[in-house]
Amino acid sequence: MLSSLRTGVKGLWRASSRALQTSSTLQHDSLFVHRDTPEDNPNIPFEFTEQNQKRVDALLAIYPEGHKRAAMIPLLDLAQRQNNGWLPISAMHKVAEILNLPRMRVYEVATFYTMFIRRPIGKYHVQVCTTTPCWLRGSDAVLNAIKEATGCEVGGNSPCGKFSLSEVECLGACVNAPMLQVNDDYYEDLTVEDTKEIIEKLKKDEKPLPGPRSGRFASEPLGGLTSLTEEPTGPGFGVQDGLKA
Amino acid sequence: MLQAIRSVARSSLSRSLPSLSSCSSRFASGDPSSRKEAPIIDNETLLAVHEGSTSANTIAVPAKVDISPITGVPEEHVKTRRVRIYQPPKNAMQSGTHNIHHWEMEFDTRQRWENPLMGWTSTGDPLSNMKIEFSSPEEAIEHCEKNGWIWYLDVPKTQKNEKPKNYGANFHWNRRTRVSTK
Amino acid sequence: MLRQPLSRALALSSPARVAPLAARRYADAVPAQPEKVEVFIDDQPVHVLPGTTVLQAAAQVGVEIPRFCYHERLAVAGNCRMCLVEVEKSPKPVAACAMPVMKGMRVKTNSDLTRKAREGVMEFLLVNHPLDCPICDQGGECDLQDQSMAFGSDRSRFTDIHFSGKRAVEDKDVGPLIKTIMTRCIHCTRCIRFASEVAGVDDFGTTGRGTEMQVGTYVEKMFLSELSGNIIDLCPVGALTSKPYSFAARPWETRRIDSVDVLDPLGSNIVVATRTNEVLRILPRTNEEINEEWLSDKSRFACDGLKRQRLVTPMLKDSRGNLAPVEWEDAVVAAARALRDCPPDKLLAVAGGLADAEALVALKDLLNRLGSEHVCTEHYFPTQGAGTDLRSSYLLNTKIANVEDADFVLLIGTNTRFEAPLLNARIRKAFIHKETDVALVGPKVDLTYEYTHVGDSASIVKDFASGTSSHEVMKRLQQAKRPVVILGADQLKSEEGPALLAYTQELAHKLQENLQDKEWKVLNVLQRTASQVAALDIGYQPGVGQALAAGPKVVYLLGADSGVVTRESLPEDVTIIYQGHHGDVGASIADIVLPGAAYTEKRATYVNAEGRAQQTLVAVSPPGKAREDWKIIRALSEVLGAGLPYDTLDEVRDRLSQVSPALVAYGDVQPNNYFAQARALAQSLQKPVSGKLDVQLKQLEDFFMTDAISRASPTMAKCVQAVLKQKNSPY
Repeated sequence: MLSSLRTGVKGLWRASSRALQTSSTLQHDSLFVHRDTPEDNPNIPFEFTEQNQKRVDALLAIYPEGHKRAAMIPLLDLAQRQNNGWLPISAMHKVAEILNLPRMRVYEVATFYTMFIRRPIGKYHVQVCTTTPCWLRGSDAVLNAIKEATGCEVGGNSPCGKFSLSEVECLGACVNAPMLQVNDDYYEDLTVEDTKEIIEKLKKDEKPLPGPRSGRFASEPLGGLTSLTEEPTGPGFGVQDGLKA
Repeated sequence: MLQAIRSVARSSLSRSLPSLSSCSSRFASGDPSSRKEAPIIDNETLLAVHEGSTSANTIAVPAKVDISPITGVPEEHVKTRRVRIYQPPKNAMQSGTHNIHHWEMEFDTRQRWENPLMGWTSTGDPLSNMKIEFSSPEEAIEHCEKNGWIWYLDVPKTQKNEKPKNYGANFHWNRRTRVSTK
Repeated sequence: MLRQPLSRALALSSPARVAPLAARRYADAVPAQPEKVEVFIDDQPVHVLPGTTVLQAAAQVGVEIPRFCYHERLAVAGNCRMCLVEVEKSPKPVAACAMPVMKGMRVKTNSDLTRKAREGVMEFLLVNHPLDCPICDQGGECDLQDQSMAFGSDRSRFTDIHFSGKRAVEDKDVGPLIKTIMTRCIHCTRCIRFASEVAGVDDFGTTGRGTEMQVGTYVEKMFLSELSGNIIDLCPVGALTSKPYSFAARPWETRRIDSVDVLDPLGSNIVVATRTNEVLRILPRTNEEINEEWLSDKSRFACDGLKRQRLVTPMLKDSRGNLAPVEWEDAVVAAARALRDCPPDKLLAVAGGLADAEALVALKDLLNRLGSEHVCTEHYFPTQGAGTDLRSSYLLNTKIANVEDADFVLLIGTNTRFEAPLLNARIRKAFIHKETDVALVGPKVDLTYEYTHVGDSASIVKDFASGTSSHEVMKRLQQAKRPVVILGADQLKSEEGPALLAYTQELAHKLQENLQDKEWKVLNVLQRTASQVAALDIGYQPGVGQALAAGPKVVYLLGADSGVVTRESLPEDVTIIYQGHHGDVGASIADIVLPGAAYTEKRATYVNAEGRAQQTLVAVSPPGKAREDWKIIRALSEVLGAGLPYDTLDEVRDRLSQVSPALVAYGDVQPNNYFAQARALAQSLQKPVSGKLDVQLKQLEDFFMTDAISRASPTMAKCVQAVLKQKNSPY
C-alpha cells in the first residue's frame, strides 16, 4: 500500500522533472558522535563519590597489574549509576584518567554498549520489550499505555523529566510476556491496567513490587501444572522383564 | 556489403602506402642548411661504409651498436639529455604492486606550461612522453647506449626484512605490541 | 661522467648488492632461525618461517592476495575479509592475513571458492559504499575501485534503497590536512592502527556498533600528529583524502618525479606529482633505510609554499632602499662588482639549510678563488678538538634503519619527534616491537612513547661519561648490547657545546668499547638541516659568530634564512647578496637578490644526517628568471674573471667527488670509524658543564614552520592555527 503510494508519487515527480534518486538513510535513536550540550560537556566536572571511590578501588583490585583496563565496563557502569542513570562525557574522561588510557578507548566502549546511555534521561528508565513473544502478548498496548501515562515518546524523556521510554529487544523474560524493565527491575505478565498502576506509583516515587503481575511466583504455569502431574515413576519403569533383576 | 567494406579497406590501405614510402624522399630533398632537424643519414650509404671495411664472407656485427646517427633524433636530444633508469616506485596511495615489477627509463624533465587554449599541459620536449619498459636494467642500459643517451641507474632501496606477522601479537599479555585498540 | 653509472651497473649484477641488509642483522639480534616449513601456494612450493601468514607466504612467490585492512607496517586486524582464500581440507575460506601457515598447507588463491568469497565480500563492502567515484579524490588510485573491477561482481543486487537505505555517516573535522568523507569508509581501521601504533596519538577509534559503527574521534578533535598525512595514503578508499589537494587533479593527469625531501635532515624519499609546471602534491616513496613508507606532514604538505613568496627575478636595491627587479646582467654585474671591490678578508659567505652540495662547492670554490676562506654554515658545530675534520663526529652513525635494532636509546638535548619525525617513528617502532627503552636528557617533551626523563642539566651527560652517575639509566646503558646515543646539534652552539660533545663522545666510546658487536655504532649527532652535513663535508666552517664579529664588507647568503645573520649584527656599509628561492629573512635584508631554484626544480645533491648522499630531480622548472644555484655562482665567477672550472652538472659532480667521494655515492652511506681519535682529540675539552639543555621545537605548533618553504606555505600556517585552537579545546 505504502509502496504503491510511493511509486505513484514518484511517477508524478518523474513527469515533472529528471528522475533524481534519493536514498533513505539509516538512522539510529542515539548519536555516535559527541555534541556539547549544557547538560553534557567536558567542563562539567565529574568525580566519584567517596563511597564509590572505594568501589572503584575494589574493582581495580580484581584485575592484575597491566590489565587494569579490563575494569572499564564496571567503572563506566558505576559512573552511570552515580550520575542518575546516564553517562556524561566527563565521567568517561574520569574513567580514562583512572585507567590511564587514551580517552578514545573509553568512548569506544561507552558507545558500543547500548546500556551506557550518553544523554540525560529521567529518573525512571522504562524499557518495554517489543520482541515477538511480548508483541504477541500485547506489548503494543503496554507501550501505548506508558506513552499515554508518561507523555514520553519512544527514545525520549517525559515532559516532567521523570521518565524515559525505550523500546528494547528481548530481555529474556518471554515466559512472562509482556514485560517491561524500570531501571534494574522487571515487571512481567503485564496488562494495560498493571502498567498504568506501575507508572502511577512511580510518579509518586513509590516502588511498585517487581515481578509477575499475574499472581505467579516466577515462570511456572498460571493454572497449575498441565503436564508432569502424576507421581514420578520409580526406577525400572518400562524396562523389559528380562532385564529386571 | 562485405565486398564494399573490403574494397574500402583496400583502397585506404593502398592510399596510405605511398605516403609512407615517400617519407624518406621528402627529407632527402631540400637545402640542408635550412632544416631544423638533425641531418638524416641514408641507410644505404651507411651500410655501404660498413660493407667496404669487412670481408665479403662474414657479417660483422659491431660489439657496441650506436644507432644515434640514424635514428633521426635531433643531436640536442641525444647529447644533452640524461636518461634515468629506475624501477617505478609503488604508489603510496595503493597497496597493489603489479605495475612496478619492471624497469623504466625517463628523460630529465624540461619546461612544461599550461596551454592557454585548453589549459592542457604543453611541452617543447619530444622525449618527455617516451615511456619504455624493460625487464632488467641491463636491457635498459643497452637500449640507452644504442641510442647514445647518457644514462644513470637509480636502484631503489626497497628490500624488506621478512618478519612474520602475527595476529596473536595484538593480544600479547606482556609485550608492547599488544594493541590498545582491541 | 660514466663513472657513476658504470660502478652502479657492476654492483647491480653482483650479489654484494643485498649485503648491506644482511649485514644489518646482528648475530645476537636473531636467535637461531627455526626450520622453515613448506607450503604450497597455487601448487607452487614455498619455504617460509613458521608463524608466517598465508598472505606473506603468497607474497614470497609473487601472488598478491587482495586486501584492505592488512598493511605490512601495521598490526594485523583481519576485519575486512577481502583476503579470504581457500585452503585445502578447510571447510571454510580462511583470512590469509591472519592465518599462520601450517606444514604442507595447500592454498588456492584463485579457485572458485576463493573467487566467490571475494565477490561476496566485495558486494557487502559496496552495499554501504557510495557510488560517488566521479567526485571522489581517491578516484584512479583507489584500492576499492581497482579491486571491485578485478574481483567484484558485474552487477549489484542492492535494491534496498527505499527502506533501510545506504548508510550515511557524518564527516569529521580532524584538522586542516585531512579531509574526511566518512560515508565512504569501509572500516578497515588502518587509520586507527596507524594513529595508535606509528603516530602514537590514540585519537582515532570506532564508535557505535553494527551498521551504526563509525570511524572517528567521537569528540571534535584535530589529529595532533606530525605524521598525520600518512593516514591519507593508508586509507584504501576516499574516506580520508588530502585537504590541500582536494579536487586538484586526477592521478593520471600528474607526472610523478622521484625526488628527495630537504625540509628535515633525514632526506626522506618522495614522489613529486606535478602538472603544468606546478607541484601539486608530494607523496612518500618507499626507502627502507630512511623513511620506510611514511612522510612527515611538513615534507608532505609544505609544497604549496613552493608557489608563494618566490623570488622570480633578480633584484637590486634602488636609491630609496627598495628592492627593484632588474635583468640578470645587472644583478650579476652588481654582485661581481661588490665581490671584486671587497678585500678578501672582509668577504663572508653563509650557506643556509636548504642549500645543495653543488651550490655549496661552487660557492666555496668561488670564494677561495677570490682569496677568502670565510665560508660558513648557519648552524654551529664545535671546531675545537677534532672539529669537523672527522666525519663521524657530526653524523648519525648508527643509521636510521639500525635504530630499530637498538636496545637502549639515549637522547641528549633533542626532540626527535619534531626535529626528525621519521627517526622518532623508528625509535617508537623499536620501543614497541623490540622492547627498546628510551631515556632523555633535556626538557620534558612528548615523544609519543614512554621514556625515562633523566633531567635537563648538561652535567648529567658529564656524569654518564665519567661513569659516576648513579642513575638507573647509566646501568641500562652499560648493560645494553646495542645502545644508541643521539645528541641534538642545537646543543652545540652554546658555550658548553664543545664540552657536551666531548662528553658525549667519551660516553659513546666507553659504551662501544664494551660491546661484543664491534660493528655497532653508538655515537650520533642529529643535525637540524638538510644542507649541514654536505656543507661540513665540503669544508664549510660551522657557525657565523666569529665571521660576523670580524665585520665583513660583503656577505653572500646562499639561502641563509634562519635569521642568524641580521643587519644589526653587521657593519653599516655592508653589502648583502642573497641567493635563494624564497623572499624570506635573508632576502629582506639583501641589497642584491639572485633568484635560485628550490629543491623540486633542480637536480641537486643533498647529504642527509646519516651522511647518505641523495639527489633531487627536476620536477618543474624554476619560476620566472630563477636559475639553478650552482649555475648562478658559475656565471658570477665568469664575470669576476675567476671562472670556475666546470660548465656542466657532471663536471660539478666530478669536483664534488674530488672533495669527498661520499658526496656522489648516491644512496649509500660510507662507514665512519674515527670515534676513538675524535674522542682523544676532544679529551681536553671535557670541562665542567652546568647549563640546562633546551630544544627549539617543543610543541607541535613549533614543528610546522621552520624554513623558508614551510614559512611561505599557507597550509602550514593553517596547521599552526589549528593546533593552537585545539590546545584551547577541552578535548
